Amino acid sequence: MHEASIALSVLEIAVDNCRKAGYNRIESIRLKIGRASGIMTDALLFAFNAVKADTIAAKAGIIIDEIPVSGLCNNCGKDFVTNEKYILCCPECSSASFNIKTGRELEITDMEVF
Amino acid sequence: MKVKVVTRILEANERIAAENRRLFDEAKVYVINLMSGPGAGKTSLLEKTIKELNGKIKTAVIEGDIAGTSDAERIGNLGVPVIQINTGGACHLDANMINEVLVSLPLKETDLLFVENVGNLVCPAEFNIGEDIKAMVLSITEGDDKPLKYPLMFQESSALILNKIDLLPYTNASIEKIREDAMSLNPSLKIFEVSCKTGKGIAEWADWLTKKVKS
Repeated sequence: MHEASIALSVLEIAVDNCRKAGYNRIESIRLKIGRASGIMTDALLFAFNAVKADTIAAKAGIIIDEIPVSGLCNNCGKDFVTNEKYILCCPECSSASFNIKTGRELEITDMEVF
Repeated sequence: MKVKVVTRILEANERIAAENRRLFDEAKVYVINLMSGPGAGKTSLLEKTIKELNGKIKTAVIEGDIAGTSDAERIGNLGVPVIQINTGGACHLDANMINEVLVSLPLKETDLLFVENVGNLVCPAEFNIGEDIKAMVLSITEGDDKPLKYPLMFQESSALILNKIDLLPYTNASIEKIREDAMSLNPSLKIFEVSCKTGKGIAEWADWLTKKVKS
């Protein structure tokens, strides 16, 4: 939905951390993105390639670890993991009452710098 | 050389939201982030609510729209402090946009600040702005399938205001279905049925707000 502003935040955080660690070039950035985070990874990659030009991340690649949606159903009490992007009901019992445990991540985990 | 970062990408927003939160606490202002799709009646609800609270609670409003100032003019006509934010295309308000306008509001003379978010049932639910609660408006003419189509907003909100119930006889929408689906997504959701046209239900919603502000 707002991938361009997310791409700018990624760039800002990465450049900041690279400089703090005393390095001047970013080789790659690893992200953890939940499938239910509302982020389209293709759009994010496209936006990142546009914003990284003329920065110390100009040649940086992005590695994305996609995190599946998992949760705990309030009705049947089962832990579930699904490959769906968004779930409307528990895959086990179809109840719409559940708590999401993973799948909404939007984080930078680490990066390679020189 | 590998560098560990482990930073939430929206951390900057969370940091500014916490700063807003501190300013609100300091000035003892209760803040509601009001969200809905376009045309559900957020501004009409604010007009009715502010009139209902007049003399009891001092209100102020931040209006978020992609463009234009018509909402702020409507609120300004009621004589309460109002600031218009034009996001210039952005689909939601973020903590920084709120932070930038806070200096222009008389926070110390305000009990309750309404932030009317950009009309959008998706993105506003993702961005905290330092509010006490999120509330959403759904007009029954939008259809009773909305809770299951846009679950996050229903999950994040403390109150759901069902507007335009005077039009119920002219639609196929089922209030029972909306209630049932919304409650299954969020069992602690408080639901109000109102009509900004006839004024029905406004007093009950305003009473609930008053209790929240005074607690």
